[in-house]
Amino acid sequence: MNTFIDRFSTTSAASQVRKLKEQEEDEFSDAAWGSEAGFGNLAKGIPSFSVPSVHDPTAFLRLHTDDHADPNCRIKIQHGTTTLAFRFQGGVIVAVDSRATAGSYIASGTVKKVIEINPYLLGTMAGGAADCQYWETYLGIQCRLHELRNRERISVAAASKYLSNLVYSYKGMGLSMGTMICGWDKTGPAVYYVDSDGTRLKGDLFSVGSGSTFAYGVLDQGYHWDLTDEEAQELGRRSIYAAGHRDAFSGNTCNLYHVKEDGWNFIGNFDISKMHYEGPGNVPGAPGTGYGYDVRVLGRNSSNPPPPEAAPAVAAHA
Amino acid sequence: MDVSFALTGKGYVLVAADTTAARSIVKMKGDEDKIKSLGPHLLMAYSGEPGDTVNFAEYIERNIRLYQIRNLYPLRPPSAASWIRRSLADSLRSRSPYSVNLLLGGYDTSTYTPHLYWIDYLGTMATVPFAAHGYGSYFALSLLDRYHDPEAPLEEGLATLKRCIDEVSKRLVVAPGKYKVKVVDKDGIREVEL
Amino acid sequence: MARRYDSRTTIFSPEGRLYQIEYAMEAISHAGTVLGVLAKDGVVLAAEKKVTGKLLDMSGAREGGYGGSGEKIFLLNSNVISGVAGIAADANSLVNYARTAAQRHLFLYNEDIPVEMLTQRLCDLKQGYTQFGGLRPFGVSLLYAGYDPHYAFQLYHSDPSGNYSGWKATCIGANNGTAQSLLKQEYKDEIDVEEAVGLVLRVMSKTMDSTTLGSEKLEFATLTLDPATKQPKAKIYKPSEIDALLKKHDLGKKDEDTEMKTT
Repeated sequence: MNTFIDRFSTTSAASQVRKLKEQEEDEFSDAAWGSEAGFGNLAKGIPSFSVPSVHDPTAFLRLHTDDHADPNCRIKIQHGTTTLAFRFQGGVIVAVDSRATAGSYIASGTVKKVIEINPYLLGTMAGGAADCQYWETYLGIQCRLHELRNRERISVAAASKYLSNLVYSYKGMGLSMGTMICGWDKTGPAVYYVDSDGTRLKGDLFSVGSGSTFAYGVLDQGYHWDLTDEEAQELGRRSIYAAGHRDAFSGNTCNLYHVKEDGWNFIGNFDISKMHYEGPGNVPGAPGTGYGYDVRVLGRNSSNPPPPEAAPAVAAHA
Repeated sequence: MDVSFALTGKGYVLVAADTTAARSIVKMKGDEDKIKSLGPHLLMAYSGEPGDTVNFAEYIERNIRLYQIRNLYPLRPPSAASWIRRSLADSLRSRSPYSVNLLLGGYDTSTYTPHLYWIDYLGTMATVPFAAHGYGSYFALSLLDRYHDPEAPLEEGLATLKRCIDEVSKRLVVAPGKYKVKVVDKDGIREVEL
Repeated sequence: MARRYDSRTTIFSPEGRLYQIEYAMEAISHAGTVLGVLAKDGVVLAAEKKVTGKLLDMSGAREGGYGGSGEKIFLLNSNVISGVAGIAADANSLVNYARTAAQRHLFLYNEDIPVEMLTQRLCDLKQGYTQFGGLRPFGVSLLYAGYDPHYAFQLYHSDPSGNYSGWKATCIGANNGTAQSLLKQEYKDEIDVEEAVGLVLRVMSKTMDSTTLGSEKLEFATLTLDPATKQPKAKIYKPSEIDALLKKHDLGKKDEDTEMKTT
């Protein structure tokens, strides 16, 4: 990757060399090569690098790097995300989107942002994808070791504490994670928020990522402890839809999990634009119509003309 | 840090704005009215750069009044919105542009239709069923996508507005304390208590 | 005597008169008649063309852009049509001004200019020429037929002094006195466009000097609401349409051939 960066960096030594080379090359016009006369492959045979087909490839790639802000961090990491998790009477609902962005570029639309640590523990992914993936898998290993050593499953509190202590030890070294560790243990359903600052919070309801405010808007207003399983799943799905719709950095699909006493269940993967127009499909809790505002209020209108008999005739003006 | 909301319902527009006037970290005033009446059926909530806001709002207010005096009838909401947008767009291209964001709510008595316009300091205008400016919009828009009903009677509209205000109070670190709420409908403008 | 107060528009005579304006009005009273009738669901405008002749090339009028020959009746904006009486060149200048004013309003307010406001814009200009600016006032009177959401259908008249007024039915140009008394007799409130068209044609046929009405002497237009869009719709009749309309109302020229056959 470093060679790749060097190739398009304007500051590195490699780029200086490249510039000189380009100048040399420029001195040979196309005509200097003469007729290709059947040797056309010769020119194409010279090793080359495929570059974005835009006017200025360097400037284009610069859009997708953070080097103007921080020279040590050249590739923009995935910031845009929406993840949420909440505790309720029937367990824990975990819902996330599936979009990965690098700057303004959608790098992927099928990212798995729920990390299945073990059958009773889920971790969500926001911030640096690699950081989350690596350290939560690592957490899975440690949780399994805890199980083998202590003959019982690790509590959600302990697992989340392990992770928070771990990331805290790397504080200031560039880790970027915002995660929720969710599961069911002896104490019942549990949700902990852990981030790379070292913050660890116990709570009923969290949402993390650039789309979290939009998710909160729907989530907070629909949330209460006594939600049924169907209602809770629908609320999680709909909150991710809301964020996917309003936040440019979130979207594509929603992955939904439900953690109960016997471990987590994957409820499904729901296309956000399909949810907008048609709804989530034939699943428990679905409203039967699209979630989209325009779909939902189709044919409704705010005018309130007086009833026809009471309508005054249009006054003639002289 | 200003927060403002507006939404339409069956025959009315609700406009709400917080009432704090802040300078730096100091709250200078807690009962500032940031919603102006521009005519018998037109409301404008303004937010943005302190100083610019009131100055611009008064400029708009007086010119709209002048139109009414000259022509004996007020500008209809769509025309008023277009003119205000044009004023902001012209201002943006002047030496000292106004940095003011607006929510314009009006009731058109000739078509019996409420209108709501979202306008920002760049001169962007959008006709919308509900709108918000400031940090509040990050929480309220998804909520309104979910709960807004264009045919909601006033009580329901107020309940939805209250959801927005409650949500912002719950989640926004710098949430304002108090809001002023005004409604415009066929009978004109009045202030309402939440 | 009058000579001393004639040469400038800005000078009052000792009797308190502005001769140039009076002369302008006089010029108009010799111009082709323009007649307008306000109905509850539209406005009707008709105008008499004075300049005709066998050699005048009217081929453009038959195809003409938005209909009509563009001599007397003009489309000022999608919601306003006007009929002019007076000096054609002055009228063209005013029509151009009015169209510009309407576009300026559209630019500023994103709506069709209200009819009275457009009338005012022209009157402000005309008034200006009674005080300063040019050597003479505009020798034009206009009828404005229009629609706006404030007052629905409207009919206005403006004269060279810059005065304007709203009417249910009025007439400018030659024989306007006769026409107006006819209108006064025959006009009734609650008239609809269909009846107004008949009324206008009847009055026109009685007022005009010529014995028979035909498309070469008449311009005709209506302004109604499009039933589908509820937006104002101006229709300026093409010569062929005018002839058809006259035939329908039994006011057209008798076809000489058919007359020959019947006799």
